[in-house]
Amino acid sequence: MVLQDLGRRINAAVTDLTRSQNLDEKAFDSMVKEICNALLEADVNVKLVAGLRQSIRRSVNFKELAPGVNKKRVIQKAVFDELVKLVDPHAEPFKPRKGKPNIIMFVGLQGAGKTTTCTKLARWYQARGFKSCLVCADTFRAGAFDQLKQNATKARIPYFGSLTNTDPVAVAAEGVEKFKRERFEVIIVDTSGRHRQEDALFEEMVQIQQAVRPQQTVMVLDASIGQAAEAQSRAFKEAADFGAIIITKTDGAAAGGGAISAVAATHTPIVFIGSGEHLLDLERFDPRAFVGKLLGMGDMQGLMEH
Amino acid sequence: IGGLFRNVVGGKTLTKEDLEKPLKGMEDHLMRKNVAREAAVRLCESVERDLVGLKTGSFTSVETTIRQAMESALQKILTPTTSLDLLRAIQSTNAGTPQRPSRPYVLSIVGVNGVGKSTNLSKLAFFLLQNKLRVLIVAADTFRSGAVEQLRVHVRNLQELSQREGGEVGIYERGYGKDAANIARDAVSWAAENAWDVVLIDTAGRRHNDQRLMSSLEKFAQLARPDKIFMVGEALVGTDSVQQARNFNAAFGAGRGLDGFIISKCDTVGDMMGTLVSMVHATGIPVVFVGTGQHYTDLRTLNVAWATRLLLS
Ligand SMILES: Nc1nc2c(ncn2[C@@H]2O[C@H](COP(=O)(O)OP(=O)(O)OP(=O)(O)O)[C@@H](O)[C@H]2O)c(=O)[nH]1
Ligand SMILES: Nc1nc2c(ncn2[C@@H]2O[C@H](COP(=O)(O)OP(=O)(O)OP(=O)(O)O)[C@@H](O)[C@H]2O)c(=O)[nH]1
Ligand SMILES: [Mg+2]
Ligand SMILES: [Mg+2]
Repeated sequence: MVLQDLGRRINAAVTDLTRSQNLDEKAFDSMVKEICNALLEADVNVKLVAGLRQSIRRSVNFKELAPGVNKKRVIQKAVFDELVKLVDPHAEPFKPRKGKPNIIMFVGLQGAGKTTTCTKLARWYQARGFKSCLVCADTFRAGAFDQLKQNATKARIPYFGSLTNTDPVAVAAEGVEKFKRERFEVIIVDTSGRHRQEDALFEEMVQIQQAVRPQQTVMVLDASIGQAAEAQSRAFKEAADFGAIIITKTDGAAAGGGAISAVAATHTPIVFIGSGEHLLDLERFDPRAFVGKLLGMGDMQGLMEH
Repeated sequence: IGGLFRNVVGGKTLTKEDLEKPLKGMEDHLMRKNVAREAAVRLCESVERDLVGLKTGSFTSVETTIRQAMESALQKILTPTTSLDLLRAIQSTNAGTPQRPSRPYVLSIVGVNGVGKSTNLSKLAFFLLQNKLRVLIVAADTFRSGAVEQLRVHVRNLQELSQREGGEVGIYERGYGKDAANIARDAVSWAAENAWDVVLIDTAGRRHNDQRLMSSLEKFAQLARPDKIFMVGEALVGTDSVQQARNFNAAFGAGRGLDGFIISKCDTVGDMMGTLVSMVHATGIPVVFVGTGQHYTDLRTLNVAWATRLLLS
C-alpha cells in the first residue's frame, strides 16, 4: 500500500541509528540523509524534502542535546512530528448533514479517478443513511456519461446527465436543481479532467462551481503523481478552493509522496483513499493514525500522547 | 568582474572532488524535473565517468562543462537507435511478400489505469486515417464502465473527420465481461478477412503490481500477435514510471517486450519532462509518440532537442 515501503525505510533508518553504539552527529546526519532519499524516491516534492531536512536538524539540534536526555526518543519524535505535519493540515473535513442538500463537487487532473470515486462516495453515504445521487457534468470526455451511468446503475444510485447538452455548467445546474427539489441529501457532481495550463478549462470549473454552489469541493489525486503535484494542486486550490483531497489508486505500487506534497502545499486534508477499481474500494483516511501505523504503532503510541 | 570569473577553471583537469557538489546540484535539478531518483543518479554517474580526468576548455566553468555533458547524455538516451517508420511498416505488411501473405498490421496499446490509452489510440487512428488507411479499432477493454461507448464515440467522430480527410474507420466490439485475448484474436482474423489495413487494439488499464491482470497480457500477446505493442505512460507520473515500464516490458512472455512508449499528458507538466527519461532509462525502449492534449491532433513524434532543452532549463 501507499507509503508503506517509505514508512519501513524511515523506520529502519531511525531504528538503525538509535540502536547503534555511538549515536554521534555523523550517524545522525546520515540517518537524515537516508530519510530524505526515501522521501525523494517516494515523489515527495524536492523543495519540501529540503525543508523537512532542516526542520528535523533544527528540532533535534544534535550538538546541544543534554547528556541526560533520551536521544532516541527525541529523534523519533522529531521525525514523527515532521511526517505528521506533511499529511495532517489540522483542518476539519466537511461532514454532510442529514435532512439538507449537501452538494459535493469533484475536480482534478485527467484520468485521476474522479468518475470512479464519485460513485464510490455516493455509495458510501448511501450506506450510511443519506439519500445520495450523482450528476455528470463532464460533457467533454467521450463516453463520460455512459461510464457514470453504468457505475451508478450497478450501485443503484440515481443519476443525472445529458447526451445532447454540451454545456457542463447548464447540465450541472439542472441536475443539482432537480435533485434538490427531490430532497436528496448528498448530491455529487462529477466534472471533466483539467489542468492548470489551460485557462479555459479552469474558467469552466469556476463557472460550474458558481452554478452549483457546493458545500464541499474535493480534489482527486492519483497516488502515483510525481513532481507536478504541487503546482497543479496549488492552482486548483487557488481557482476552486477545494476543502478535501481523495487519493486514488493506492492499491498500486506508488509510494504516494506526490499526493502527500499536494496536501502540504494546499493545507488540505485527505479524507478518503481509493484502493481498487471496484465500488467498495474506498477507505476513510486519518492522518495521525496513518503515520502512527506507518512508523510502527508500538514505538509511537507514547509519543503521540505527549 | 571578479564574480563573473569565479567559476572559470579553463584548462583544469577535473577530479572527482571538483565534480561532487555541482553534480549533486544537477541530480537535484533532474529530480525537480520529475526524473526518478534512480535515473537521475545513474545519469550523473555516467557524466562523472565522462568528465573525471578531462581538461576543461578555456573560460569554461565546471557547471557549464557538466551541463554540456548532461545534455549529450540525455540526447543519447532519448534518441532511438532504430527508427520506427510506422507507415512504411504498415505498408509492407499490407503488401506482403511471396513468403509472407498480405495481412493487416496489428498494434496494441497497454498501460496502467487512466493514463490515456483509449484517447491516444484514437489520436493514432486519426493520424493513420490522414494517411488514407483503413483502420479497425478493437474494444478489448471489457472491464471499465463506459470503455466501449468511449471508443464508439471516438469512432463516430473519426468517421465524420475521415469523410474530409480520407481513410476509413470501424469498430469491433463484443460488449463487456468477455475475455480480452479472445476478442482480440477474433478481431484480427475478422480484419484479415475484410482487408483492413491496421488493427488498433485498446486494452483495460491495469496496475503493474497486479499479478493476475499482468499475467493475462501473455495470453493476449499470443492470441492477438501484435506487430507492435505500445505502452502509454503519463508525464504526470513520478518514480512509479520506472517500475511500470519494467513490469509491462516483462509481461508478454519470453522473447516479447514492448516496442515503444507513448508519453501522454505532456501538456500538463510544463518543463517537468522527467517521465520520458525515467521510462527509457528503465528499459532502453524508445518513446515513439508524445501526447500533448486531449484532441485528435495532439500526438507528436518526440523532438529530442525540445525535450532536452526543457529538462535542462
Ligand atoms: N487500481 C485502481 N484503479 C482505479 C482507482 N480509482 C480509479 N481507478 C481507475 O482509473 C481509471 C481512470 O478513472 P476515472 O474515474 O475514469 O478517472 P477520471 O478522473 O474520471 O478521468 P477523466 O474524467 O478522464 O478526467 C479507470 O480505469 C479506473 O478504473 C483505484 O483506486 N485503484
Ligand atoms: N491534457 C491531456 N490529457 C490527456 C492526454 N491524453 C489523454 N488525456 C486525458 O486523460 C483522460 C484519460 O484518458 P483515457 O484515454 O480514457 O485513459 P485510459 O488509459 O484509456 O483509461 P482506462 O482505460 O480507464 O485505464 C481523459 O480525460 C483524456 O482526455 C494528453 O496528452 N493531454
Ligand atoms: Mg471522469
Ligand atoms: Mg481506456
